[in-house]
Amino acid sequence: MTVKKIAKKELARLLDEWSRQFSVLVPSVETGVAQMTGWQGEDTSFVDWYRNTILPPKDAILPVMEEMFSFSKNEDGYRLEMSPPDSGRQLIFGIRPCDARALAMLDVVFKQDYEDTYYMRRRLNTVLVGIGCTNPYDSCFCTSLSSGPSDTAGLDLMLTDIGDEFVIEAVTEAGRELLDKSQGMRPATADDEARARESRDIANQRVTQNVDVKKMPDRLLAAFDNEEYWRKIAAKCISCGICTLLCPTCYCFDINDEVSDNRGARYRSLDSCAFCIYTKMPVENPREEKWQRVRNRVCHKYEFYPRLFDTIACTGCGRCIRLCPVNWDITRTLNSIPGQ
Amino acid sequence: MEPKTDWEPRVVGFLCKWCSYAGADLAGTSRKKYPANIRIIRVPCSGRVDPLFILRALRLGFDGVLVSGCHPGDCHYQTGNYRARRRFAITRKILEGMGVEPQRVQASWVSASEGGKFVEVVTGMIDEIKKLGPNELFTDGRKNRKTEK
Amino acid sequence: MEEKTEKLKNEARKLLEKGQVCRIVGFEPGSLKFTTTPLITGEKDELDRLVINPFIVNNLSVYLTGLKGCVAVVAKGCDSRSIVSLIQDNKVNREDVVILGIPCSGIVDLSKIEYLVGKDRDELDDITVANNSITVTVGGEKREFTKSKVLFDNCLGCELPTPREYDILIGEQVAPSPALESGKLKELKDMPPEERWRFWKEEFSRCIRCYACRNVCPACFCNRCFVEETEPQWLLPTPHWQDNLLFQVTRTIHVAGRCTECGECQRACPVGIPLRSMTREMYDLAGELFHYKAGMDKDEEPLLTAYEVEEAENFFG
Repeated sequence: MTVKKIAKKELARLLDEWSRQFSVLVPSVETGVAQMTGWQGEDTSFVDWYRNTILPPKDAILPVMEEMFSFSKNEDGYRLEMSPPDSGRQLIFGIRPCDARALAMLDVVFKQDYEDTYYMRRRLNTVLVGIGCTNPYDSCFCTSLSSGPSDTAGLDLMLTDIGDEFVIEAVTEAGRELLDKSQGMRPATADDEARARESRDIANQRVTQNVDVKKMPDRLLAAFDNEEYWRKIAAKCISCGICTLLCPTCYCFDINDEVSDNRGARYRSLDSCAFCIYTKMPVENPREEKWQRVRNRVCHKYEFYPRLFDTIACTGCGRCIRLCPVNWDITRTLNSIPGQ
Repeated sequence: MEPKTDWEPRVVGFLCKWCSYAGADLAGTSRKKYPANIRIIRVPCSGRVDPLFILRALRLGFDGVLVSGCHPGDCHYQTGNYRARRRFAITRKILEGMGVEPQRVQASWVSASEGGKFVEVVTGMIDEIKKLGPNELFTDGRKNRKTEK
Repeated sequence: MEEKTEKLKNEARKLLEKGQVCRIVGFEPGSLKFTTTPLITGEKDELDRLVINPFIVNNLSVYLTGLKGCVAVVAKGCDSRSIVSLIQDNKVNREDVVILGIPCSGIVDLSKIEYLVGKDRDELDDITVANNSITVTVGGEKREFTKSKVLFDNCLGCELPTPREYDILIGEQVAPSPALESGKLKELKDMPPEERWRFWKEEFSRCIRCYACRNVCPACFCNRCFVEETEPQWLLPTPHWQDNLLFQVTRTIHVAGRCTECGECQRACPVGIPLRSMTREMYDLAGELFHYKAGMDKDEEPLLTAYEVEEAENFFG
């Protein structure tokens, strides 16, 4: 596929150019938390500080909250109005390989059996332009999950930092088209490509956390009924929703109506299996206790999902470790499953 | 939002069954006039008023909330109004700290014989709220954070 | 620090051996650089992992309501007040808990260091804490900061660094720090009301309702939180800023007289909402209006169940 390069100082111009076709999202802390927000046309300083966002980029496709439809009642009867998501095309610039891979995992869920309009409409209109990591966090463990800081899976274009320039590589056909049409690109030389390779190798070595995922579904299945183990592992968890709500591969949602007087709207918002009420039913709650919920989260990612879709539903982005208020570390759990 | 000239405040009043509700009743039977802007909810005791009642009323768009109960020492349940006072003071202060106009959240002691005082309290409160204008604290819904941009 | 850690390990071991407690709740080194993590264990051979250092952020009293039997818990000054508050509310029996008091000279706020040196936690090579200063080594270069620049806001002006309620004290008493008004709080107080409301509206637009603030809080001990009620449904579970804001206002009211200013809510918040500006205001209010300080005396009646005949009189017309 095509390989080109662009100078970092040309980046603002490139993003401006893309803004004419797409609504371009870039990493920013403008809202007070690192997340993908609309390109404002100036500030490309994120190339220097950005390691990864706190809110995962899935937010641009499966938002924390969205209106599904609104309804009202008057003398003539009831009226329903769909609130379809923006059908405009969007481009996420700077998404990390782990988060791009994660979207592929969400796709499977939102396409299977029933195609989710809200998700799919945004997803099909989204172009993913990734930047390979040069400085992974100490909590990253992507390399253990047959991926890495320069993995191109799920991306349309991949950028690799080679100092003052980015080497841009088209991954998909859509990416190639975009690259061919973009102005100001120069062909990458063999030397550039060598530097890109070097940069990737260095980044790969920087990922130091390790998880043993060999025979993973079976090992977890064997430990599933080991209540004592799960109780011990779960003891310090406080059952908040950080690890799940900020996980790029978590997709559970809740649906609620907001009604006032004669009108209202139905909202979908992210839900978390860490909450006790997640499984609360009139008579009983199958996951009343904390250890059952912790087990569910680990097993969903490393046992149930892989059994259904042949891939582990975790990309090793490390958000759940970094952001956990009590430093509950999934890698420690996975590496200490009894009977290894 | 309708223009301010047409606007009439809506205030919810939580009145204790033993004193203030009877006081409001007395105002009525004595043919005293007070603004019809207040909607009264009878509660068994001012101590029944959970801060959530106040917050929920504001969230629903009421322009003000009045809590009213027996004078100190007169509570039918001995101490309900003392507890109500602590809770109310804290609620009002914290709302004020967030930027809510304190006039929207008021409280008053009204006994069963104080029909006149009830009229004064309600009239005064409605006047103050008319000056403040409608409660727009919670308007401007955040529909979709991305499209809002 | 090593001395304290050793003493703690010994005391913990003795308690378990004598059967005085069935579990120890303390800290062990975390999985990431400069972090610690709670250690909840009843096994003697795990006690060697216990640690005391300037990074022991969590308020471990949050675990007490969920643990059965007699428990020994490591508590800094503010944490010990949370325990006292739980005792006042009959959530914990004094006899069921052995308090391993840690006189605390402040906990390091890693986010402040990150801000000051412009590097993330995992990029720092070393942090050394001395009496009044902290030395951060990054990229081979040493940088020194006064403690007041890098400790958590709530540690500055701490009223009770040494636990008042304890069974075993690990280390020497630490004197209280001089009172200090938090910069953020002052800034907020100086704003006109509309601006303040706008400020909070914007802050709460970020909230994702992970409930970390509630779940790390020892004062939030309800079996079922009011946001989970559906009949009546006080608030929507959907993260509208309005509901997010009211959730926090209500939570702040609920923890009035229980909040000991440990600052855990703000630290836990993944989207950086300055929650402590709200709890601090409540804390000050309890003091100003009712001369009440949370978690100081286990025999005192809790703020919201007690009353005085003459108080707060200007609130009722």
